[in-house]
Parts: sequence; structure tokens; C-alpha cells
Amino acid sequence: MDAARQRDMLIGVANPLRIAGISRPAEVPFTFNGKILHAPSGEAVASALLAAGIRRLGEGLDPTRPRAALCMMGVCQQCLVRVDGRLAQSCLVPVRTGLVVTSA
Amino acid sequence: MSFDIAVLGAGPAGMAAATQAAQRGARVVLLEESPAPGGQVYRSPPTGFVIPADADSREGDALRAALMQSGAEVRTGCRVWGVGGGPLVPQGEASTPFRLDALGADGVPFDVTARALVLCTGTHERIIAFPGWTLPGVLGLAAATILLKAQGVLPGQRVVVAGAGPLLFAVGAKLLKAGAEVAAVVDLATRGEWLRALPSLAARPDLLARGAAWRAALTLAGVPVLNGHRVLAAEGEAVLRAVRVVRLDGTDAQAIEADALCIGHGLVPATEATRAFRAAHRYAAEEGGWVPVLDGDRRTSIDLLYAAGDGSGVRGAAAAPASGRLAALAALHDLGMLDATAHNAARAIPAREFTRAARVGSAMARMMALRPALVTVVAPETIICRCEGTTRAQIDAALDDGATDMNQVKQYTRCGMGPCQGRLCGETAAEIVAARVGGREKAGFATGRLPLRPVPMEALLGDFDYADIPVPAPAPI
Repeated sequence: MDAARQRDMLIGVANPLRIAGISRPAEVPFTFNGKILHAPSGEAVASALLAAGIRRLGEGLDPTRPRAALCMMGVCQQCLVRVDGRLAQSCLVPVRTGLVVTSA
Repeated sequence: MSFDIAVLGAGPAGMAAATQAAQRGARVVLLEESPAPGGQVYRSPPTGFVIPADADSREGDALRAALMQSGAEVRTGCRVWGVGGGPLVPQGEASTPFRLDALGADGVPFDVTARALVLCTGTHERIIAFPGWTLPGVLGLAAATILLKAQGVLPGQRVVVAGAGPLLFAVGAKLLKAGAEVAAVVDLATRGEWLRALPSLAARPDLLARGAAWRAALTLAGVPVLNGHRVLAAEGEAVLRAVRVVRLDGTDAQAIEADALCIGHGLVPATEATRAFRAAHRYAAEEGGWVPVLDGDRRTSIDLLYAAGDGSGVRGAAAAPASGRLAALAALHDLGMLDATAHNAARAIPAREFTRAARVGSAMARMMALRPALVTVVAPETIICRCEGTTRAQIDAALDDGATDMNQVKQYTRCGMGPCQGRLCGETAAEIVAARVGGREKAGFATGRLPLRPVPMEALLGDFDYADIPVPAPAPI
């Protein structure tokens, strides 16, 4: 078993959307709309939410068209959330212990 | 802080430009929005992530290593929202050094000034609107490469890859390797178009081999590759459930079940900064759209303002470092830091490299050029501007009411006034306008405005308070 996979098992990255064979830092807790989630420290908040099965990030102006991460590079503004109260693009913000993320 | 040369954007062009200029003794600052230098193709994973190396990561690491040793000051995680100086001074006054206003990674606003400015702002993805493109589960092709290469996360477990250009096959092959199921690759291009592009790839056998390996991996896995097809609609209630595809002639519609659709219709040069400086631009569909007018050494129409990399015309990551070096050398020469003989000697190699790599890049850029037929079929009720909810019908109504260019359509409909500042809707909207007014040149582009990127007002104001507003003494009665 290679070192990366061993480490994956050690930190319990059993998520079907997290690609195997990648060595990641330890998972840390953060919250999205009050729900406690775990993701490797440094992963983008947008990626962490996607891996947690959360794709609807905000409801935008019209409830029939929720927002979801689209460009992942800071251009489209569709992944806007509030991080510790401040508007931020979730694709550009790394996960840290205790981040409080809410829909914008 | 004052510098000889500021470089905006730390992709392959920006890294090479900053490295070249700093190695030759200039005081250089390089500003980048992402947490680390690299750009999108050579994007590095977050600190602490170890992702197995591939050809892209090795090239990126080499550029990063050279940059770190060059002595250039590198500021990452900062959002440059303002440009000024240069020609942007009151009429009749002499031009001043360029000024860049940014929000730092620490949330503290700062500015830098520099005598010369090299713009290496890269591209963003073109996604022509279609019904259901706002459903969660639909994301960009470039977004998929970032998720796969720099985050180690799959966009879904069963994925449809659709759109145009080599990225289709890169993403398809990477998804397979990462353990996802690829339900189909839906390619706008016909087999004939790919065959005609092949001779241009001969200049870079390494890139040709990589492309062939991607296709072979998809064939081996039995992934259907639908050439000459487009996405008709993304379907689902709360999230994506299926992708409906159809031949370009409208026949053979079929629905493919999937939990993710990665779609991209090519790359558009990011010209916000050159537009803000009112540099001259030209429309070049085969280079991605509007690009600044440049000379062979990457000089724009504005003194001491240069543009390099895909942001000045899509030529691919392989050609970008050479164009960055050309821009840096021209800036050094124009600042009097490199004499004409030394400049001529130094520019020969990057000029040759650029020409060679750009031949392949141009062929690929042509495959990714906008296809007006895709816009013709956009239905009236389809949302074009996701930020403002503007539909095609509203844009058509504005044109019926007398709007004649992009600025007017923006003012009539609010299309492009939301937080993405037209980066997502601009191409679809401009093509709708162009079809009515007689071409993209006539349709024009939205005038460059500050901020270049949205920034929270509170972050810029800092401790500034309402009470701090200076109130002039009242005039005597």
C-alpha cells in the first residue's frame, strides 16, 4: 500500500468524490448553515461542499435558480457564500478549522 | 511601494515575465489572485496536498522555482481591483507611473506603483447559454480541470463532458483516471475538423502525443465520443439528472443520465485591464475574441503597457512563457534598462519559441472559437445573464427598442451589470447583438470600468467612518 493511500485511510477520506492516491492534510471541522462538515485543511470551501454533496450554495434572486459553483477560478461569482459573515467566493477560500459558512 | 515593472497575473506568462525582468536587475512585483503562482493550467494544489506529478505539474514547478529564485516580489491571494496612472491622468498632464490597487490576502488594502506594467491576465471560459445551464451539477470544463488537478475532487460520479476543443479530451481522460464514470464526450467539432487540425500539431509532437493518449484512454474505456453534437438541455429538478444531446443538424436527440455536466465552448481573453486603460483592441474570433492590439514585442497602444499570454489572444500555455519573456524584455528596453543590441540578442530565442508553440496553440484556439450557430438556437426564455436573470427575449426586446451595441444592451437590460461583470454572459449577449447589428466589431464591448473585480466596500473602507468625511466650513452668510 503506498503512503498516500495509507494516509487516506488513516484520516478516513472515504468520500466517493475525493480522488484516491492523493496525500491530504488532516481533516478539520467547519460549518455550513449550521451543519458540521469535515474537509482536509486547505481544500477550497467550494470543493469541500461539493464533496459533502452540497451543490446548492445560494438561492440568488429567484428561488427557481439556485446558485452553484461554476468556474472554480474566481470569475463567475456563482459560488458566493458568507465566510465568517463576510461575502466570499467559496472557490477561493481555503477550509480552516472553525470556519462559519452560510448561504449568501 | 514603487517598482520598475509590475506584472498582473502569475500564470505561465506572468511567472516568466517577472522572472526575466527580475533576473536582469529590475525591481519587479508580481500580483496574483490565487493562493499560489501557477495560473490555471499549472495550478498548484493547496499547501499540504501531494498530488502525483504529471507533465503539467513539472512544467509549472519549473516556472515557479525560477520565479522564486529571481528576486521578484510575489504577492499571492490579492485581488487587484483598481488600475490607474499611465495615460489615466487629467487631459494635458504628463503620464504618471502605473498604479494598482489591491485587497491583500490578509484583507488589508494596498497599492503598488510601477513605471511599466505587464498584463498577464489569462482567460475565462466561454459557456454559451442553454436551457438548464443554471442547474447545480453543471460546471465549466476548466472548472473540472481545477477540481481534478488542484483539489483532488470529482465533479460527480457519472459525468458528461461537452463543448469544444482539446480540454474535452483532457478532462474526459483525467476523470477516468481519477475513478469517475464518463457517460459521454459530446464534441461540437466533427471528426473532419479534428483531422484538418492535425498538421498544425506536428510542430509540437509532445502535445500531439498527449492528445492522442487522452483519446486512446477514452476509447479503451468504451466512452462514447459523439462528434458533431451539442447539448440541447440540462435536465433535473433540484440538481442535474440528465443531459439531453442532439446532432448539430437537430436529429438523433438522446438523454444521458449524469450527476455532473462539464461544459465549455472555448476560452475568452480577460481584457478588463487593457479596456480600462482604453488601449486599442481588435476582434479576432480565432484568438478567442477581443484582444489588445500588440506589436511583435507585446507592446499595447499605451506607452509602457504590455500584454502577454492567453489574456492577449489564446495561444495556449506552451506559448505563454515565451510571450511573457518578450514583454519583459521590451519593458526593460523601453525603460532604458536594456540597450538595443542586448534587447535584440535576448529576444531572438523567446520570439522563435513563441512562433513555434503558437502554431499549435492557434490550431487549438480555432477549434475553440465561438460558433455563432450555437447562439442562433438559444431560446427566448433561456437565461443569458445569471447574475441579473436577463433572458434572450429581454435582449431581443432591447434591440427592437433601438439598442445598437453592447453598452446600450447593458443599460437597457442590466445584462452584465451583476457581480460577474459580464464575464459569463458577455459572449452569448454579444453574439446576439452582433447577429442584429452586423458583426462583433459593430456590437463592440462593454467599456472597461473599475473595480476590475468585485470587492467588499467594507474591506476597502477599513476603519474609515462616516464621521471621517471631511466637511468644508460653511460659507459666510
